[in-house]
Amino acid sequence: MMLARVADSLYWIGRYLERAEHFSRLADVMLNATLDRSDAAAQTAYIALSAVGDPDMARAARTYEAAKALVLDREDPNSVVISLSLARENARQVRDQITTETWERLNLLYLRITSDNASQAFESGSSAYIHEIIADLHQFKGAADATMSHGEGWRFLMLGAYLERAQLIARLLEVCFGDGRDGNVTDRIALMSLLRMGCALEPYLRRYTAEIETRHILEFLVFDEEFPRSIRFATTLIEEHLVGVSRHVEGGLATPERLAGRLKARLQYADVDELESVGASALLATVTSECARIHDAIFDTFVAYSLEMKLPA
Amino acid sequence: MKREEAVQAEKETDPDVTATSLVTDDISAGLPLTEAAYLPGQAFDEMYGPGGEVRDHYNAVHARLTTLSAEALADRQKTLERSFLLQGITFTVYGAETTTERIIPTDLVPRIIPSTEWDHIEAGLIQRLRALNMFLDDIYGEQQILMDGIVPRDLVLGAPSYRREMQHLYVPHKAYANVCGSDLIRDQDGAFAVLEDNLRVPSGVSYMLANRDAAKRTFPGTFRAANVRPVERYPDLLLATLKSMAPDWRPDPQVVVLTPGVYNSAYYEHAYLARLMGAPLVEGRDLVVHENMVYMRTTTGLRRVDVIYRRVDDDFIDPLTFRRDSGLGVAGLFNAYRAGNVVMCNAPGTGVADDKAVYAYVPEIIKYYLGEDAILPNIETFLCREPAQLSHVLGNLDKLVVKAVGASGGYGMLVGPHASRKEREAFAEALKADPANYIAQPTIQLSTAPCLIDGRIEPRHVDLRPFILSGEKIVVTPGALTRVALRRGSLVVNSSQGGGSKDTWILADDAAREPQP
Repeated sequence: MMLARVADSLYWIGRYLERAEHFSRLADVMLNATLDRSDAAAQTAYIALSAVGDPDMARAARTYEAAKALVLDREDPNSVVISLSLARENARQVRDQITTETWERLNLLYLRITSDNASQAFESGSSAYIHEIIADLHQFKGAADATMSHGEGWRFLMLGAYLERAQLIARLLEVCFGDGRDGNVTDRIALMSLLRMGCALEPYLRRYTAEIETRHILEFLVFDEEFPRSIRFATTLIEEHLVGVSRHVEGGLATPERLAGRLKARLQYADVDELESVGASALLATVTSECARIHDAIFDTFVAYSLEMKLPA
Repeated sequence: MKREEAVQAEKETDPDVTATSLVTDDISAGLPLTEAAYLPGQAFDEMYGPGGEVRDHYNAVHARLTTLSAEALADRQKTLERSFLLQGITFTVYGAETTTERIIPTDLVPRIIPSTEWDHIEAGLIQRLRALNMFLDDIYGEQQILMDGIVPRDLVLGAPSYRREMQHLYVPHKAYANVCGSDLIRDQDGAFAVLEDNLRVPSGVSYMLANRDAAKRTFPGTFRAANVRPVERYPDLLLATLKSMAPDWRPDPQVVVLTPGVYNSAYYEHAYLARLMGAPLVEGRDLVVHENMVYMRTTTGLRRVDVIYRRVDDDFIDPLTFRRDSGLGVAGLFNAYRAGNVVMCNAPGTGVADDKAVYAYVPEIIKYYLGEDAILPNIETFLCREPAQLSHVLGNLDKLVVKAVGASGGYGMLVGPHASRKEREAFAEALKADPANYIAQPTIQLSTAPCLIDGRIEPRHVDLRPFILSGEKIVVTPGALTRVALRRGSLVVNSSQGGGSKDTWILADDAAREPQP
């Protein structure tokens, strides 16, 4: 049993932190690419900015400024600083529900990224600065995993994180391999950057060796059962956590659970040959829209349900 | 313990004293506690006796302060402040462009009260709250005390904090003020007196607990050796008090903490108490009233609520009964309360008993209900509603503290000796215009306690806010919030007026050492 408002806040903490981590990584890969060949750098920056939803070639050319804005620009609703501020604001509202260890990780991160010298700290070592943010986010996850009860609150936190992850990875792949664009990404360095953005390079190399191929990337990031950032992995966990939180809802299968089960099955029974023959776009679009439906259904079922249905007779 | 022994014991037992801190303890680094810096005024000093001798119960802390360098103290102060910031023990300052979070200034030097003195305080607080609860039960019931002419009828019934809606309403155990925080001060002779009672939604208890937590880390050895009585039971005693207010027929009552929300300056405290009690922290929008029952919206539907520890003022708890424009409360809550289906703690309408004018009658109130003299005296108080007392006040504005009856938090207040002629004249006009709205008291030189100010130990004026719980029984937690007026010479300790706080050590009787958990 937990307050509906609290469940909602925990869910959004999960979403915002996942977003902050993903965009930190995009910024990091952009910065890294500037060290290599220049046209690969621009292509990498373009991929990253498109994945954020801002495909601006002029901005992509000024990679460093674009990366810095992605991390620190408070005018940009997608920036890491905004995501972290919103996550922390939600955490403050449910401060009684999360452990002190977890809260302090997040609060520290927030205080650092909103401090007056954040910009200066970024400039004096941008890559190190971003790595620290990602490491702190991992510490938050570790502290949450180690100190919070893995009950209902935890499941809402995880639901937010995995739904956000599935959508972010789908978006990233859509940018690189969707149809109707000015050509799919084929450059080897850009492909490696893509894997880095998905935090997937090392696990990919172990699985497929250093042969970087589009087919394998799609197979790994969409269908892999064990890689925690594959879409299939995320949808499996979304379903698992929904089964967990729906146990107490009266009457039959709750809508979010049904939707998640269907999406999971869809990914279970598709394979990379199908993607290659009909193009990745259709499946990726389904993932994005189904995740949005699950998101709405979670809100309707657990948070903003109509009171008339629940009043005692 | 002799001073040298105390120093020795500290070095042996204090895990903080590492090789590095011993190096920085070099005499040449400059000692923070010197006679030149520590100049007690006319006020009673908590650490030094009138002849400059260290009071017995301060020996160990005094010894510690004379061995730590200014740098070592400053380091600890910084660590303490950092830890408060990290925990989020902050209030938010909203600026034009940015919002910043500040911690309430916290001083690391503990204030110490010996056990015999505390026993006296505790007995006085229990007596006082018993009488005030009986007074509330009476004025919302038969009104005997008004009929007997002990307290003027219009003073009580005309007070804005008197809630007619509470008349003839059943309150379990007749416990109206379940949580009370009274402000005590020491006068020039060192005697404790009550300055003010807080029976509405007193705050500050989280600072008592957080300061203790910090003190244990700042002076672990001294703390261990001092045999300080624990404050850590406050949350579970609070929960027991709240549960004792639920009707008997509700097994395992659901307790919640009602907060105005994250923008309230005491939000940290609300969340802190909810977390330590294991009770949900709810906002008005989480609660629903249906057929005079209160429910909270959970993920799996509505769940009945039995006891509400509300940290929302009377005016805002129910827009149907009190202020209509309140968005913080719950529509229909008061009717559910009246129907006996939910209990609010504190009860609405308790404010009338901490009204600054009613305050003047508390010694008579104690006498009336309990047949006893007040153990803790009041401060002499002039009621400006009485013409004779008003003219005395107007003639002595330069010596008196004048307070608006309805205001709190150090607002609407004139400290005569510290005010300019112009300020006094302006205040005199306000007084003449609405005399019933003011009371006056002599300016009391609050006692001073050692504080770390800019790297040196200096005396600053302090008060004492202990917390008393009353439900089935009355319990006083052996601890308090000591509030500090950080500006030199200032007598105003309110945090809204530049005050800070520090940990308060109530020493255990050596014979009756509390068992270790």
